[in-house]
Amino acid sequence: MGWGGSPGGGMLTQIKLHDFRCFETLEVEIAPGVQFFTGDNAQGKTSILEAACVLLRLASPRSPTLTPLIRQEARGFALQGYWGSRQLQFYHSAERRKLVLDGVEQSGTAEYLRAARLVYFSNTDVELVRGPADGRRRFLDFLGSQIEPLYRSSLRAYERALRSRNRLLKAVPVRWREVEAYDTPLLDAGRLLTDLRRSLVAELVPWAASAQAAIRTEAATGGPEALSLQYQPGAGEDFAARLRESREEEARLRQTRVGPHRDDLSLCLGGQPVGVYGSEGQQRTTALALKLAQARLLEAVWKQPPLLLLDDIFGELDVTRRNALLNALPTNAQQLITTTHLDWLRDAPSGPIWRLAGRRLEGTI
Amino acid sequence: MRRIDYPEPLQRLVAQLKRMPGIGPRSAERIALWLVGTGRQEASRGREIAETMLENAAKVRPCDRCGFFTIATPCEICRDESRADGPLCVVEQATDIIPLERTGVFKGRYHALGGRLAPLDHVGPEDLTIDRLLERVKEEGATEIILALGADVEGEATAQYLAGLLREFPELNVTRIAQGLPAGGGLESADELTLSRAMTGRVLLSK
Ligand SMILES: Nc1ncnc2c1ncn2[C@@H]1O[C@H](COP(=O)(O)OP(=O)(O)OP(=O)(O)O)[C@@H](O)[C@H]1O
Ligand SMILES: [Mg+2]
Ligand SMILES: [Zn+2]
Repeated sequence: MGWGGSPGGGMLTQIKLHDFRCFETLEVEIAPGVQFFTGDNAQGKTSILEAACVLLRLASPRSPTLTPLIRQEARGFALQGYWGSRQLQFYHSAERRKLVLDGVEQSGTAEYLRAARLVYFSNTDVELVRGPADGRRRFLDFLGSQIEPLYRSSLRAYERALRSRNRLLKAVPVRWREVEAYDTPLLDAGRLLTDLRRSLVAELVPWAASAQAAIRTEAATGGPEALSLQYQPGAGEDFAARLRESREEEARLRQTRVGPHRDDLSLCLGGQPVGVYGSEGQQRTTALALKLAQARLLEAVWKQPPLLLLDDIFGELDVTRRNALLNALPTNAQQLITTTHLDWLRDAPSGPIWRLAGRRLEGTI
Repeated sequence: MRRIDYPEPLQRLVAQLKRMPGIGPRSAERIALWLVGTGRQEASRGREIAETMLENAAKVRPCDRCGFFTIATPCEICRDESRADGPLCVVEQATDIIPLERTGVFKGRYHALGGRLAPLDHVGPEDLTIDRLLERVKEEGATEIILALGADVEGEATAQYLAGLLREFPELNVTRIAQGLPAGGGLESADELTLSRAMTGRVLLSK
């Protein structure tokens, strides 16, 4: 799976925000290694990391749509930045979306998205473990589309077929001939997506287990259980058969009942689902392990660590876990870390420290 | 002081021009100014264009039979006796016929559906010329239906829908054009889903 190698290599060197969240304009020079963004609450720290994520992956880590990212009173936001030698520009408004790569406007997203890879760590990541399945599907999708270009196109096709089919199932009376016409595109894209997710999870398994072992802090009391991941296909083993069998239910509930939109990723420690039986600490460790595994897998595929965006995750970890995590992060990765204060940091940080106040970045050490 | 905008006739002109496809507010303004101009010459430019539009736009209509552009039904393609009666090529839009004609490969007649099944855009079978297609199959004694529809989700669904209806004609061969790569583009420029479809629709060259 994947392309291997890295086109142009690189890291984030600069990002400019325009009418994005609370910022009218903000320009940030990004240094190679680790850097910190500090500041009181609501100063825009998360927004800067979010901007990097949106610029490079066209998706927000905290919002399913991009509309709330447009600064209130503005029509649209514009982001611009450099990843290595590649220039990326993204404009988004209610009416228009514009992607520009190296000065050339793009008609599709494929080439643009090929530029950069990243992992976003957030203090809400524990929801991955104890929240609903759609969070875990989004986790897989965010990762999958950074590894395999076919992933995003089959996901898009599947979602379109699914929405079309569900629209038809809402009609009164249901016109089954039309619904069935959408079976084929649903099955085609769905099978492809199922295969891609299955092999993605298989590749993730060893990385997740070793990451979990590296940051586990309760080893003395909690036993040596390994983290296991299992892909649970919402399409079952035979999607076509499952779809046929679900007709009656579809007629009753007026929606497509089986398929990858019902996929889940089960997370177990010692055979028990972590989301149900795990302690708070085990759940947080598992969430971190998933994100670390994502970073390691991307590094293995691309022969270069991805950009790490770490939003406020150190503040709430205890000292041991915090240091375990710091040690587990790929050392040579570029890292943008937000935090309200830096008291917890034991050693002097190696990179710049930015302070955000009044919508402006100040001082760097 | 009152802020001055263009006089009303000019604004109305801009508003109408903006309705045309591919014409944004800035182009509309540029064209309107060009039409208004300053001299006699410009005024006649506008007249010439307006007359041509009035005279010709109303003349061209879709052929009642196949949907292609024509002045009178049946259109030139439908009237052409030298074309084979057997094969009928179904396309989404009348504009899809021209590129197929340019290849010179297909010697039969066409049927433009006027779109494709797209529930998300509120397009259903009743919005397409499907009934007429079925009538034509009966009346014209078609032996093969070639579905030349898009390779995306809606194109695929429309092909499936038509294939279902056409099963009523057991004698009829229903085929779908191969989903391949656009010529001139290397593999790296093809989008991935096209590539994967092209993979499944591959042709045996030797054993
Ligand atoms: N679309 C928007 N337009 C204008 N302001 C916005 C928009 N969206 C969010 N904001 C505001 O931007 C500010 C910065 O939010 P952000 O989440 O980036 O802060 P933060 O520095 O990460 O804070 P915390 O330390 O609490 O996590 C907040 O005051 C928020 O209300
Ligand atoms: Mg924040
Ligand atoms: Zn005709």
